[in-house]
Amino acid sequence: MAEEVHLGLPGPWAADYREKADHYTTKIGGVPDWPTGDMGIKPETLQCSLCGTKLCLVAQVHAPVAKLIIEERVIYVLVCPKPECGPKPKSWKVLRVQKCRNAMQTEGSGDELGQSNGPSSSTSLLEEQNDKNKIPEINDDDFDLDALAEALEQAATLASNSKKKNKSKHANAPVKRPVLKEQACDLSIPVLPCFYIYYDKELYGGKGTVGSSSSELVMDKEIMNTTNDEEEKWEGEKYEYDKAIGADRTFLKFKKQLDAYPQQCFRYSYGGKPLLATTKLQDPGTCRLCGSPRRYELQLMSPLSYFLHEAGDGSSNYAPSSWTWLTVIIYTCSKVCLILQFPDTEV
Amino acid sequence: MAERGGERGGERGGFGRGFGRGGRGDRGGRRGGRRGPRQEEEKWVPVTKLGRLVKEGRINKIEEIYLHSLPVKEHQIVETIVPGLKDEVMKITPVQKQTRAGQRTRFKAFVVVGDGDGHVGLGVKCAKEVATAIRGAIILAKLSVVPVRRGYWGNKIGPPHTVPCKVTGKCGSVTVRMVPAPRGSGIVAARVPKKVLQFAGIEDVFTSSRGSTKTLGNFVKATFDCLMKTYGFLTPEFWTQTNFSMTPFQQFTDLLGKPTKGLVLEAPTETVEA
Repeated sequence: MAEEVHLGLPGPWAADYREKADHYTTKIGGVPDWPTGDMGIKPETLQCSLCGTKLCLVAQVHAPVAKLIIEERVIYVLVCPKPECGPKPKSWKVLRVQKCRNAMQTEGSGDELGQSNGPSSSTSLLEEQNDKNKIPEINDDDFDLDALAEALEQAATLASNSKKKNKSKHANAPVKRPVLKEQACDLSIPVLPCFYIYYDKELYGGKGTVGSSSSELVMDKEIMNTTNDEEEKWEGEKYEYDKAIGADRTFLKFKKQLDAYPQQCFRYSYGGKPLLATTKLQDPGTCRLCGSPRRYELQLMSPLSYFLHEAGDGSSNYAPSSWTWLTVIIYTCSKVCLILQFPDTEV
Repeated sequence: MAERGGERGGERGGFGRGFGRGGRGDRGGRRGGRRGPRQEEEKWVPVTKLGRLVKEGRINKIEEIYLHSLPVKEHQIVETIVPGLKDEVMKITPVQKQTRAGQRTRFKAFVVVGDGDGHVGLGVKCAKEVATAIRGAIILAKLSVVPVRRGYWGNKIGPPHTVPCKVTGKCGSVTVRMVPAPRGSGIVAARVPKKVLQFAGIEDVFTSSRGSTKTLGNFVKATFDCLMKTYGFLTPEFWTQTNFSMTPFQQFTDLLGKPTKGLVLEAPTETVEA
């Protein structure tokens, strides 16, 4: 019934945060690997809409759509590296780069990041594109979710290679890779610490628990029997939903899924349902290019910001230390649109 | 989790002033060993900002969290900050629901946690299996740890030993009233709320209850509600002006205001041979 959820688990750290990979790599931080060298991206696209600083890459996800046989599709999540802009949704951008079969095209389209606010914040809701569940006491204002990501679509004529590199080391252990990779030439782009991702499928959607062994069952019976011997009967008990002083049911379910895989950096489920941390959710709206409704594709999770925070050097200018979001939900065009434009032709 | 069972068994002698009978104690002890090879105990990756601060060790006492009324959303926060937190299952009852295919039974577990020194929490969880219910109830109990204010009955000699004033808590139809008692009175209460009061660290108190105390679930929750109210009662000590301090989030942002190293995170500068 539910779509399968793929979890992005942390792999090895990159030896050099600026090293280049190809656009089939899924990674966090580092330099964005565009499919072709010259993408013709307008510089404004890569700048923070609030302060104009160059954006840095948070996540690069190779996201082919099997059903529509689109192999070359990459999603880039960018954020402003300034700590002040970090908590505001406008400073986030998501780019979707997709290959067009025939010719070289450049296209801009919008992908949304849906945003929702933390449980106790009661900020006004404006048009959002970013969906972030935030810690209430930090973010009192509702974000003007205007951080539309523009998806760049560009035709590339690269042949498709194998998709995901499977690395299974812990993100916490820095690893010296034997092969030194090429450095990106542009040193003016700010960069976050980089590590690679390997995929794993989520088992049971977090609902199943490890089955009880027989010894557990025996002890359960003993517990039930001893308590039944007491004089007091606990009467009138009915089913009760989980309740905690600081957390509501939605958050408790969110935390339960997180505890099943405590290191998950993002969850990918094309067309599935996002794991919400609060009940308020903003409507993602429609694709800016083709007008078709947007559908959930992936969401970034808080362990990602924790890992980046840990890798930072503790300076006050480090953006991930000021991040307080619980999850960033990314919606993309459900038709995976690709509208061709011929910028330089006379016709 | 095996350690937990063991330590609880060990503590049983020292902890109680007439605490729990042997049978119930054994039950706790046996349960501890059951945890077994679930998976490797994974390290805690904090989800919330408060969790990150606690993991780094910037917040040492849970009182700093209570002072600013910060919501605690991760049970690992409480585990890290409050040492000596013990838990005990008070009751597991089957709860039934009638379906077309018969009855569906689930188990409801009541767990109380506390350190015996002013912090207590109560967790209630329903689940299809007993083990899941207990595990979930322990987590919920840790999430709901509250401070308990203790005071004196008369002379302010020695440490506080009783509730500071008459307080009453209510849940459903059950109301529980706690009245300060002189030293040496012990906890004068029914068996079930007595356990909660012992975990809270109250040594002497007179209680009086009203309503359908047969519904022991409500009775326990009413006692817990009563304990929560001890810090909500305005006594003359609180009449002085409050000196507001910075929340931990603000405090540590300012601490990090060291001279900046620059906006761009620089990669290591050694040359690379491709």
